[in-house]
Amino acid sequence: MRPLVLILATALALCGQAPRPTEVQERRLANGARLLLVERRGLAAFNATLVFQGGRAEEPASATGATDLLARALFGATWPEDLEPAKGSPDLEALLKQEEGLLEALRLERVHLKREGEVPTQVPSLEAGLAALQSRLKAQFSASPLADLYLARGGRQRAEATTDALLAQTELPLESFEFWCATEAQRLRTLQLSRFSQARTALVAELRSQGPQGLSLLCGAALPGHPYGRDLLDDLPSLEALRRSDLRTYAHRVLSPNRMTVILIGSFSMDRVLPLLEQQLGSLPLPPDEEAAILPEITAGLGDRRVQAALGTAPRLLTGWRMPPRQHPDHLALRLAAQVLAGGQSCRFQTDLVRQKALVQEAELSLDVPGGRFPGLLVANLRPSPGHSLAEVEGALQSEILRLQQDPIPQEAWLRALALLETDHLLVEDDPAALARSLAMAWVQGGDWRLWELDLDRLRALTPEAVQAAARTWLQPSHRTSVLLEPTPGTNQDPVEAELARVLKALATAHIADPAQREHLVSEGIRQLRMLSAEERLHTLNLLKAQLGPEKR
Amino acid sequence: MRALALACLASALCLQAQPRTQEWKLQNGLRVLLLEDHEHPLVRARLFLSLRPGDTPPGRPGLAPLFHRMVVHAETADLKPGDLDRLLEDSGIRLTQSLGTDGFSWQLAARSRDQDQAMGLLADRLLRSLLDPALLELQRLAYLQRLEHPEGSPRERLRQALEPGARATRSSLGAITLQDLLAFRARVFRPDRAVLVLHGDLGLEQAKRLVLLSLGTWMAQEPGPQEAPPPSAAAAVPAVPDEVPRIPDPGAGLRVQALAPQPGDLAPEVGALLSLLVPGEASLDPVRVTLGEGGLVATLDSLEGSTGAATWSQLVERLEGLRRRGFNRRDLDQARLAWFGRRSLESLQPEAQMDRALAESQGRGVREDRLGALSLDGLNSGLRDWLDPAKLRLGAAGDPGDLDRLPRPDERRVGKQAPGDPGG
Repeated sequence: MRPLVLILATALALCGQAPRPTEVQERRLANGARLLLVERRGLAAFNATLVFQGGRAEEPASATGATDLLARALFGATWPEDLEPAKGSPDLEALLKQEEGLLEALRLERVHLKREGEVPTQVPSLEAGLAALQSRLKAQFSASPLADLYLARGGRQRAEATTDALLAQTELPLESFEFWCATEAQRLRTLQLSRFSQARTALVAELRSQGPQGLSLLCGAALPGHPYGRDLLDDLPSLEALRRSDLRTYAHRVLSPNRMTVILIGSFSMDRVLPLLEQQLGSLPLPPDEEAAILPEITAGLGDRRVQAALGTAPRLLTGWRMPPRQHPDHLALRLAAQVLAGGQSCRFQTDLVRQKALVQEAELSLDVPGGRFPGLLVANLRPSPGHSLAEVEGALQSEILRLQQDPIPQEAWLRALALLETDHLLVEDDPAALARSLAMAWVQGGDWRLWELDLDRLRALTPEAVQAAARTWLQPSHRTSVLLEPTPGTNQDPVEAELARVLKALATAHIADPAQREHLVSEGIRQLRMLSAEERLHTLNLLKAQLGPEKR
Repeated sequence: MRALALACLASALCLQAQPRTQEWKLQNGLRVLLLEDHEHPLVRARLFLSLRPGDTPPGRPGLAPLFHRMVVHAETADLKPGDLDRLLEDSGIRLTQSLGTDGFSWQLAARSRDQDQAMGLLADRLLRSLLDPALLELQRLAYLQRLEHPEGSPRERLRQALEPGARATRSSLGAITLQDLLAFRARVFRPDRAVLVLHGDLGLEQAKRLVLLSLGTWMAQEPGPQEAPPPSAAAAVPAVPDEVPRIPDPGAGLRVQALAPQPGDLAPEVGALLSLLVPGEASLDPVRVTLGEGGLVATLDSLEGSTGAATWSQLVERLEGLRRRGFNRRDLDQARLAWFGRRSLESLQPEAQMDRALAESQGRGVREDRLGALSLDGLNSGLRDWLDPAKLRLGAAGDPGDLDRLPRPDERRVGKQAPGDPGG
């Protein structure tokens, strides 16, 4: 008897230690919403993710920025007055409507003022009216520091607007599951958006303070005419013209059950969660049938494109190749190619470009920029080392691509890339928030969450030859767009550098008529200065200053 | 009260659900904490080495970051830096190093079958790094370049400029010698200052063997410290600098920011509750408060038409208003409930479980009995200490014209009206 007990105990212990692959159960709710459940025994909390397919790419011109606004104003926090407006003050809805009217009147008045110039204006009185109304509105909101209903229960929530989807992730203690179901159903039914104007003000201010971004320039140049190439910064007037009622109408359409997937990870069974979900999220109404958005197609071989710009504080080279969407058979091969080139510390970019040649300080490769549902970009982002030009870096990058296409991939580099991908896959599997996001993106980009589950096996089944063939097909000059970013003169903190920029500008203005040439001379001068020691810099500056007239020194 | 009892019960259940911390100490003084979790074939390790006041001698700011850079890029007894990285990645091992205000940290993630290799290579990087003059000059130059050409947007640089700690300068970096670095290593790289946290798919006996084989030979190079005080954020934080960081951002609107470093003697329970309450406090509006590694960060962007001085005053006044008023009994009860809920969320994140085990091992963990007994006076006294205007580190980013018009350091305290500031 005793040996049998021992054997059983050992078997049980081993069984407990054996790794279990992630098991995903899938169901459809009555209204068409999908449910993915990952059971994780022993967790005291759960992760619940709502995913809505569409994202920025499907926004019409009249609703530009709507995905970002919904992420902030609808899913950014959970205010009691948004969920039960009827229980709160009856004035709230009326005040929100008044606020919408005032905001629109103020916008129109400002547009009028800009067009007509110095004319009598109502702007000050409208602004005063709006400020008074907003303070009345604020008085309607709960003033408790833990007014947010999820925060008060110890939970946290995060919403993310992407090009392909809107994701809202919530983590709460296990006993709050029923509360979460009811809250989310109520949120989607009411779409109250009481903090709409604050969310929009914050978004506009953020976009303005960031200014143009290198990656947006690259996407715009590489994917012209496609929503993937759109930059929200270019559409600020549309964003400022969007009203709360417009956003609610848009939300009713895009946050519909047939576009929604619910991903749950926690210590609960399908039998427990399904009835609750059916009752709450499964009873959300379906909007009237709508036609699917038709997006323009982008030909991969648009020709080699180059853009030069002065942006930021450090020079950078951004090169993007138009690549296939996630469903395409070559997508995984390109992922492995990216891993061989830029994954980890012993990849080719690090060993060759950073350490051996010391040409660049940083080198990264990103896939599916800005999204993976449609053809996107594989982007190399390289920052030159001091004393090296962007042209040198561009040449070195091209050599690495040619090497990948032509020379066989050594076995050890191949195995290393696979080993790192395997660890990364395990790390994602071990983190509920990362796992939910991966399942969500597989569904919205590839049409099936199983793509994530199968990724590792499909990567292992690839051959080095297949990766090289994909690199030859996709990483060719006709698919390429390069953005060469030089620092904006005068943005650096170094006072010597700022002074040198001033002196160089003054000298260039006196001697060169062409503004483009002047700009080039100043940039080149600053680049050369960075290669000198501090003493040499000061000496050079004094020499240059001596060439200026006394009034300009 | 019933709600609190329920929360305590939930917390107890949550403790059952999370891996139990098993702790032991090696003969060389290294403390090891193990959190067993066999859900996936994955092992995580974090080695934390604490920094104490006095580790950086006077006149040597930048010693710790320079030392950190050198260890990352150094050869080991047998391997070049690139070879060590290759060996790690051949087995799919992820190793990252960081330097925080309170110490060095090495973080490792590996498939469980590669745990021996991972710990062996971590020990190589940690114990057998060779520091030589050529490497020193190379890293000194790289560090200088980073200092003179800081990265990130002006707003990110403002946030970095507020971080506590003395700033390295060209002259302080130039003065650091190889002997300084070797002495620093002998002083700081000691097993009795280190805590190793292991998490994942390994049992107790397996973990003991693994740690003994990899780090069992680690010996201190200097005699033990004489009862050095525990690491204290307050002690490490120097007085508020006289110079206010002003980061130029031509054409951009003015942003004023204040960092309130967490006082070193603040009880962990008070710190935990204030971290939940302060960021959501409605009376701070339009100031936004977030919790960062260095403490509470308050941010205010200047509105069109308002002066920089007015923005500056508004930020400080909002914080001072909250400091004077404090929280009420209802806030305290709600924060306690929220904290118990928040604790259960740790079961979702292995890194959070490791953070907690590490904090508890250093006496910085939150104790439920003390949390339950915390009085409103205790909470508000902690708030007054944390938001003490004399300890706020203030800075601004924006158009150089706006920055020039900001008040000087001696004018920035509450109650002192800046010149040209009609609103005070």
